[in-house]
Amino acid sequence: MSNVNGKRFLKPGKYLMMGNVAMAEGALSSGLKFFGGYPITPSTEVIEHLAKRLPEVGGCCMQMEDELASINAVMGASLVGAKAMTATSGPGLSLMTETISMAANIEIPFVFCDVQRCGPGTGFVTVPHHNDVGLTRFAGNGEFEVIAFAPMSCQELFDLTITAFNYAETYRSPIFILSDAYLGHIHEVVNIPPKEEILKRVIDRTIPEDTTGAKFTYEDINTHKLMIPKPYIVGTEFCPPLIIHLPHNQDGILMPEENSLRFMKIMIDKIRDNIDKISLTEEYKLDDAEIIIISYGLPVRASYRAVDIARKKGIKVGIFRLITVWPFPKEKVKKVVAGAKAIIVPEMNYTGVIAEQVERVTDLNIPVIKVPKVATLHHPDDILRVIEEVAK
Amino acid sequence: MSDDVRYPSEKPEHPYFDSSFSGMLLGTLVSRFCGGCGYGSIGQLYTRVFEDEKLDPKLYPLVIGIGCYSQIFFLVHKNAQKMLTLHGRAPAIATGMKMANPKMKPIIFSGDGDCLGIGGNHFIHLCRRNLDCILFIFNNSIYGMTGGQAAPTTLYGAMSTTTPYKMFEPRSDGVELALAAGASYVARTTVAHPRTLMKYFKKALKHKGTSVIEVITPCVTYFGRKNLDNLGSKGEKGEIMDTGGKMFEWIKKNSIHINQAKFMSKEELFNKYIIGEFRYNPSKSEYSEEYKKIQNIAMKGD
Repeated sequence: MSNVNGKRFLKPGKYLMMGNVAMAEGALSSGLKFFGGYPITPSTEVIEHLAKRLPEVGGCCMQMEDELASINAVMGASLVGAKAMTATSGPGLSLMTETISMAANIEIPFVFCDVQRCGPGTGFVTVPHHNDVGLTRFAGNGEFEVIAFAPMSCQELFDLTITAFNYAETYRSPIFILSDAYLGHIHEVVNIPPKEEILKRVIDRTIPEDTTGAKFTYEDINTHKLMIPKPYIVGTEFCPPLIIHLPHNQDGILMPEENSLRFMKIMIDKIRDNIDKISLTEEYKLDDAEIIIISYGLPVRASYRAVDIARKKGIKVGIFRLITVWPFPKEKVKKVVAGAKAIIVPEMNYTGVIAEQVERVTDLNIPVIKVPKVATLHHPDDILRVIEEVAK
Repeated sequence: MSDDVRYPSEKPEHPYFDSSFSGMLLGTLVSRFCGGCGYGSIGQLYTRVFEDEKLDPKLYPLVIGIGCYSQIFFLVHKNAQKMLTLHGRAPAIATGMKMANPKMKPIIFSGDGDCLGIGGNHFIHLCRRNLDCILFIFNNSIYGMTGGQAAPTTLYGAMSTTTPYKMFEPRSDGVELALAAGASYVARTTVAHPRTLMKYFKKALKHKGTSVIEVITPCVTYFGRKNLDNLGSKGEKGEIMDTGGKMFEWIKKNSIHINQAKFMSKEELFNKYIIGEFRYNPSKSEYSEEYKKIQNIAMKGD
């Protein structure tokens, strides 16, 4: 087995890596054991890389017959205790929503990478378009909360994938990584930390010592607060007699209709109550900013440049970056935008999914200006022009 | 034989009462199936085999799809780790389980709508890979849970709520499909032949590879009550199949053993079920074992 563990981690150092590969390596570092996928541009490098790498670490990479099968196989693998993930693009995601909603309901941890591409339907397959941001939030029938990360560089793809796996284990909810066609294909330097450092960050799937009694309870015995139990593993004692995707109690027994609300509350509140722990954000020159840019993913990189240029011209502008897009950090954004002159939301979609969320929490007299770009990246000038217009 | 012997006044104790999930959970045997349904028998037979063969519940997870038979979880063995999955996706989930823990041998319960309708693709590819698992197809030739709509397996001439005049589509044959896709053990039996069903199940447990067992089961409520036992064919006088007994008789009459079917013409076999063992090929390579070889190659590399 020493050989197996030896290949899990790359030798520490700097690597020139493609975004999709960096994400796959991040997954391997966090102990990925099963990947089920179906080739779809622009996510194919993930399955190609893992087809080579996963057998080396004793895992399994399966090319399934379609997206529906791949997400279900991922769910099956996660049920028996393997860390599992899949990668796809928009059309694949829309097929997988059926199972995502079920996985949320029986709280199976898994990581889902969406390498977004342009357009509804088949669209343009090799250009980016953050058009699945809304879909991931409502991915499937029924009510549940998801967590979605929006990395902006290959290094982040590596690091955030490890975080995503940890979140999956902790919160037992679908975790999305929102990459896109350009980010997935960019080649950048990725700094791989030493094995020990990675292992410190990784949360492993373990069975609790005491597997008797109230093993799946949602309530802490001492504080009576909502508690998220560890994910159960089929094939061990730590497994309810029945796993069911209808509203159920902790033993898998069906709940009568009047108790379904209680179950739904658990599903939603386990994310909402922990939003402070979950939500990751970044601030850039926000202290004295009058104009605030709120963005996520690749547009943030253009925004940094635009802010630097604008600052030289004396315009007080800063960036509030969402690293986790969902759940939307309502309270944090409220605090940031209070007293702002204007808010600029550069997004790689025309709808402005996050702009709408920002509008929800800002005063009506603060303008929220969308900077849409589709199928291409924002140029810093695009954002700078808007900043200058607002500053006038 | 007098009636006293046939129907003893004292109800004998159920030998597998303590083994069933509902016996443990509710202290009584609960079945949510209609009168005359075959799924109760199947649940019992599964429990019997599970108990008699002393299967390790950790190695034989039970993956249940969506259909009337989903309620079977009440009747199956209490120790079996059972999970209710999505409509048609049970084979895909079992694939993931098997590949993440190759010691397991998942047992999949699915219906005709599951395997031949919505999940046809998963079924074909499960058989193609020859993944080590047991797949039951419960074929009652109707969509019972949604209220009696036509299934891909509904026989020609049958009435259903979506074929109010008559079923005119050619039916899909699960066994033929499994044979063509490459499953290494393929058999079909009926609920009217419970001992054969147990025999096939036990054989499948020892077999390494995909075992597909199609089980013909009666649906009185939505199939029997609306159909004559000649399925509307002219020239024969039909009788409506409104009880479990009549449906069992019909299933027995409509099933032809494979050895007998060899000497019959296509016309004679129209709308009939051929039962028996169609293929038993223990030498076909199994998917997880093949993947193990790939892992060994990958691990050896520098």
